[in-house]
Amino acid sequence: MDVAPTPTHCPYCALQCAQTLSAPDDAARALGAPVTVAGRDFPTNRGGLCQKGWTSAQVLGAPDRLTSPWVRGADGELHEATWDQALDLVAGRLQEIRAEHGPCAVAVFGGGGLTNEKAYALGKFARVVLRTPFIDYNGRFCMASAAAGANRAFGVDRGLPFPLADLGGAQAVLLLGSNLAETMPPSVAHLAGARASGGLVVVDPRHSATASLTQEGKGLHLQPVPGTDLPVLLGLLHVVWAEGLADTAYLEDRTTGADAVRRSVAAWWPERVEQVAGVPAQDLRRTARLLAAASPARGGTGAYVLTGRGVEQSTQGTATVTAAINLALALGLPGRVGSGYGAITGQGNGQGGREHGQKADQLPGYRSITDPDARAHVAAVWGVDAADLPGPGVPAVELLRRCGTPDGPRALLVHGCNLVVSAPDSGRVVERLAALDLLVVCDVVPSETTRLADVVLPVTQWAEEEGTMTSLEGRILRRRRALSPPPGVRTELEVLHALAARLGVTSGFPTDAGAVFDELARASAGGRADYSGVSHARLDAEPEVAVHWPCPAGTDVGARHPGTPRLFLDAFATVDGRARMVAVDHRGPSDDLRPEAPLYLVTGRVLQHYQSGAQTRRVPALAAAQPEPFVEMHPALADRLGIGDGELAAVTSSRGTAVAVARVTDSARPDTVFMPFHWPGEGSANRVTTDATDPVSGMPEFKVCAVDVRAAGSPVPPRPARVSTPEPAGRPSAGSTGSPVGTAQR
Amino acid sequence: MSGSEAAVLTALPTPAPRPVSPARRLVVVGHGMVGSRLVEDLLARAPGAYAVTVLGEEPYEPYNRVLLSEVVAGVVDVASLTLPSVPAGAPGTASVDVRRGTCAVAIDRERRVVVADDGGTHPYDVLVLATGSRARVPAITGLTAPEDRRDRDVATDGAGAPPRPGLPAGVHALRTLDDAREIVAAAVNAHAAVVLGGGVLGIEAAAGLAGRGVRVTVVHGGPHLMDRQLGPEAAAAAERALDRLGVGLRTGATAREVVLEDGHVRALRLGCGTVVPADLLVLTAGTVPAAELAAACGLEVRRGVVVGPDLATRDPAVHAIGDCAEPPEGATGLIAQGWEQARRLATRLARQAVPPERAPGPAEARTAAEPTVAPDAGPSAGAAASEPPPPTDVVRLKARGVEVVAMGRVGSPPDARAGSVEDRPATVPGREALPAAAPTAPAYRTVRLSDPDAGRHVEVTVAGGVLVGVTCVGAGPVAADLVAAYTRRTPVPDDPAHLLLRPPRGAASATAEPSPMLMPDRTTVCRCNGVTKGDLVATWRSGGRSVEDMAASTRATTGCGGCTEAVCGILEWLGRTDPPTAAGAGVTSGAATTPGAGAGAGAGTAHDPDPGQTSHVLAVRTR
Repeated sequence: MDVAPTPTHCPYCALQCAQTLSAPDDAARALGAPVTVAGRDFPTNRGGLCQKGWTSAQVLGAPDRLTSPWVRGADGELHEATWDQALDLVAGRLQEIRAEHGPCAVAVFGGGGLTNEKAYALGKFARVVLRTPFIDYNGRFCMASAAAGANRAFGVDRGLPFPLADLGGAQAVLLLGSNLAETMPPSVAHLAGARASGGLVVVDPRHSATASLTQEGKGLHLQPVPGTDLPVLLGLLHVVWAEGLADTAYLEDRTTGADAVRRSVAAWWPERVEQVAGVPAQDLRRTARLLAAASPARGGTGAYVLTGRGVEQSTQGTATVTAAINLALALGLPGRVGSGYGAITGQGNGQGGREHGQKADQLPGYRSITDPDARAHVAAVWGVDAADLPGPGVPAVELLRRCGTPDGPRALLVHGCNLVVSAPDSGRVVERLAALDLLVVCDVVPSETTRLADVVLPVTQWAEEEGTMTSLEGRILRRRRALSPPPGVRTELEVLHALAARLGVTSGFPTDAGAVFDELARASAGGRADYSGVSHARLDAEPEVAVHWPCPAGTDVGARHPGTPRLFLDAFATVDGRARMVAVDHRGPSDDLRPEAPLYLVTGRVLQHYQSGAQTRRVPALAAAQPEPFVEMHPALADRLGIGDGELAAVTSSRGTAVAVARVTDSARPDTVFMPFHWPGEGSANRVTTDATDPVSGMPEFKVCAVDVRAAGSPVPPRPARVSTPEPAGRPSAGSTGSPVGTAQR
Repeated sequence: MSGSEAAVLTALPTPAPRPVSPARRLVVVGHGMVGSRLVEDLLARAPGAYAVTVLGEEPYEPYNRVLLSEVVAGVVDVASLTLPSVPAGAPGTASVDVRRGTCAVAIDRERRVVVADDGGTHPYDVLVLATGSRARVPAITGLTAPEDRRDRDVATDGAGAPPRPGLPAGVHALRTLDDAREIVAAAVNAHAAVVLGGGVLGIEAAAGLAGRGVRVTVVHGGPHLMDRQLGPEAAAAAERALDRLGVGLRTGATAREVVLEDGHVRALRLGCGTVVPADLLVLTAGTVPAAELAAACGLEVRRGVVVGPDLATRDPAVHAIGDCAEPPEGATGLIAQGWEQARRLATRLARQAVPPERAPGPAEARTAAEPTVAPDAGPSAGAAASEPPPPTDVVRLKARGVEVVAMGRVGSPPDARAGSVEDRPATVPGREALPAAAPTAPAYRTVRLSDPDAGRHVEVTVAGGVLVGVTCVGAGPVAADLVAAYTRRTPVPDDPAHLLLRPPRGAASATAEPSPMLMPDRTTVCRCNGVTKGDLVATWRSGGRSVEDMAASTRATTGCGGCTEAVCGILEWLGRTDPPTAAGAGVTSGAATTPGAGAGAGAGTAHDPDPGQTSHVLAVRTR
């Protein structure tokens, strides 16, 4: 196959490591990979790749790659079909359902891995073609709390409002709920400066790979009880004020609300936090002093406060992000070069994916769908009447809860998401999907979700398509096509184009990614995330220019906007230009310990797998390194439960039970077990997690729930009655075995 | 709030409680930590549901009294003590009238009216007493002599206390912000101070004054320090820590007389006749609930105002919370209990103000709501009603240099000490609150680590698989672990001795390994790419000699780069020792010599064959 060396970026996480794809060498060919992957020098990954990135090309040649549409027949089985058959069927069913139940009976579920172009087209498709308000995406499981917190405080939400490489100069970095060393390994290099100053503080209930970076005098690991990150932050804020460490001039000049926040944390002195969070009071004081010493106001070289999913995937995720922002503001960090607050975006296009309109409440350019001006602007770009645009829908968990209910959506289109594995309380998700009249799933390989689908449409992978991704630092990156997709595979832009045409909308859905981007740029013009000064052509012509949004088109043709690597240097994006501090308080997890569920379950990731594992589990090296789900537990707990290392453990909550191999390690707290969530079936962690959500962001509480743990040989304890709907009589199997697409009965 | 969040909010179920109108009248007597918290919690749950009047004796906004000893120690900024006031413009705020510096003097339960010292009358439908407690002034000659009385404020907490006689100059309680400020002022010129009462507050005050360079002696009537919380061995460890701070200690000592000169304290004479010089005397000999108002209007008062589990007195319109109250389980004198009571009462009052049909249903309850829409998750809520409330009897000393944390019972029942927390008479239940009361008492087991030379004492009592008592002195982070296990009742190890120490953490990374030679072959050197020492050895055997060779063959160092040093170390070791090729290497040499392939296969000869290591390389890093 003829492959010209192609500069692009990794298909997985938001670090978007730069890669070069070239013609396959012998080793690649031996593995069935159609291209050779190499790391490429870039400010974020500095040429590095993790094992996922190095092996990413193997998914292109996965033996069970979807290369043809599949349609569920009268026999209940999925059968191969032609594209015309599949698209006609989908369009026909959608029309029937809409005719019978109205446009709200069709819903769309997108993904944070979709390119900006796809995310944009999908949002437009939902609003213009389907005319449904019900679109949301798995970014709701990812960045929603960080987004809500940042929007409220700063008036804009860009994960890192500064280049990642800025971290390198900091004297201190406080990392809350992020396991960078596993989730985006090449980023760890940027922590070297803070580690050298002994200033890396990691807050995590596990002594994770990232927490171990604090050893040997490199910093401090705070190991709170799950669900108590917020009190830790409140305690740090308390110390900042109690010990006179706040940057009072900054608070005076650049913020509002500091007094209320100061009062609210008066009740969180370190010894009280110690009681609630299990973090020694003196560690809290040390941390606060270390951060303050690094702050610009006190002559330090800079400090950062960073949050990740560990603290955000919580029913108090927005409050926790707000407290982290408050801490950064109290120390005078945001909007200063070399310091700041940031959220570490998870999914590949988790940033861009939340800017272009696949969020329930949002239009392109990070505009609000309830803002009349925003509606008018976008409607004009789309050539429709603003009054015809639907209003806000509901967040992901609520959308899924409504699927197949009498008043809820009857049809669901899923793009770039393996809901059955990655959504919380997956038993309920399977139940809701099974209750739909029509489930259409676009994916690249069979997944646990495609197995439940009525129609499966095969789509392109990263190396086979053009587009852009917006990385964790808000930088717009080009994804480039290195090779042709296998015959029978189409891009999602082509799918949407074809469906729109069948549903009567014959223009406005180009299949060329560059053309879609140009329209996206116009639609975003004047919005918070303004891409109007960017085009594929510009990104290709000026690869050395780091285009971070906002990058408005401007009026002067000669002077191109250079992009905005650092936000807030002059003012925050609020009405008065000041950052808003909001007092928050601790409530604790929605599903807390009780005698029949006396242990916490926390969930997370391993280095070798990405999200639901649909891609990475197909790479032999990754599957071999992490072949199966596991339950990490402390030796003292394992001893008490009579579970040996390598034996099966059953983890049961009021939602369900997961059974997986025990890994006995002192990195766990004795009151907490950990499970990675990358696997389907018996050991799927999300059978156990709760779908309770944050009241502001709609983020589900993946990260903590109360469980009972037993040796799997012993009888599984009865599940305590759940508060809502009972189990379905016969749920379809979402297991991982079976034919490429599966034969599960619906 | 941004537009997008607002949109999400509207999309979520928001069962906002609607007040019954006209609003019922709620009078709160006391604007301390518990009274102010009640108002805050109530506003969060049912804004505007009550017309609230708060009477607070002190002229200040509510502040964190727990931290007054930190003020004495000079380690906190006084402004940081200020607690939330009723925020202007917040929902329901207009319905709250806070009268600072106004003291309630009488309650007319017949007419349901509170009379204030400014002559004002405040009618109520619901009355909450949160009058707190006062410092106990021991009956010692010199403190109570009539000629020394002068018209000075005596420490009070909250409101509702009748005027009390003043103290001689140089004598201070430590209950109010004014007390703390006066002690700080006095400490500037004080040569010697006596702290009377060696409980939690006394030790904190003594350590704080010692930190200011004042010569301090603690005079304590009990057999040892903190005898209500600690056994003798634990106390000995704490006493040693106090000694290191230079604080003198007289235990088992009765104070007989405060020696005055020109009305100013000069010394404290003990029962044994010893005279301890002091120009500053701090009274930390316990507290007395401020229950006079309740007693005067005919409510039952034992030590405090007697309330039921619902925090109501026998008059259902009158409630008492915080230090002034005496609930069925007994008062601990700890703020955690008062705040828990405030939360429970606020929830109840909010519920009474919300029409039943507006109560959140199960579906809504699954969404953890913001305070305004909060279904209460506390012990009084629905299914959780049978659960005991979380333990609130953790005593934690805040003195720098003296680390004491104690909770639950001390020791197993036969020799259990029915002590109490804070400085209270032993009739008040304290450190014996929880599972001990179970009808079928589980087997108790107490284990302790006694390390007197290091000033350390750790003691845990386990029953029914959970911690029921903990004493930590000088125990470092173990105390934080134990408090989490105790308050959450998490399962403890079969052998409770494991609780006494935090095991040292093993090497976390290859870089922490002392020597490449000692490293097992299966040790992961490069986490990012799952490369083991064995993989690197195999690459060496197939001719790789540099970091670049290692990277090309195994991808080690090509992720975060953090293992570069370790890889260099292994290369250096290999260069020195050049281990002979293991038997069978020929089987894999072909694969291992191909750059970018078979590193794992080669490694398979150096250690256990591991399918996980048969990884393949797609590409060679070209830089």
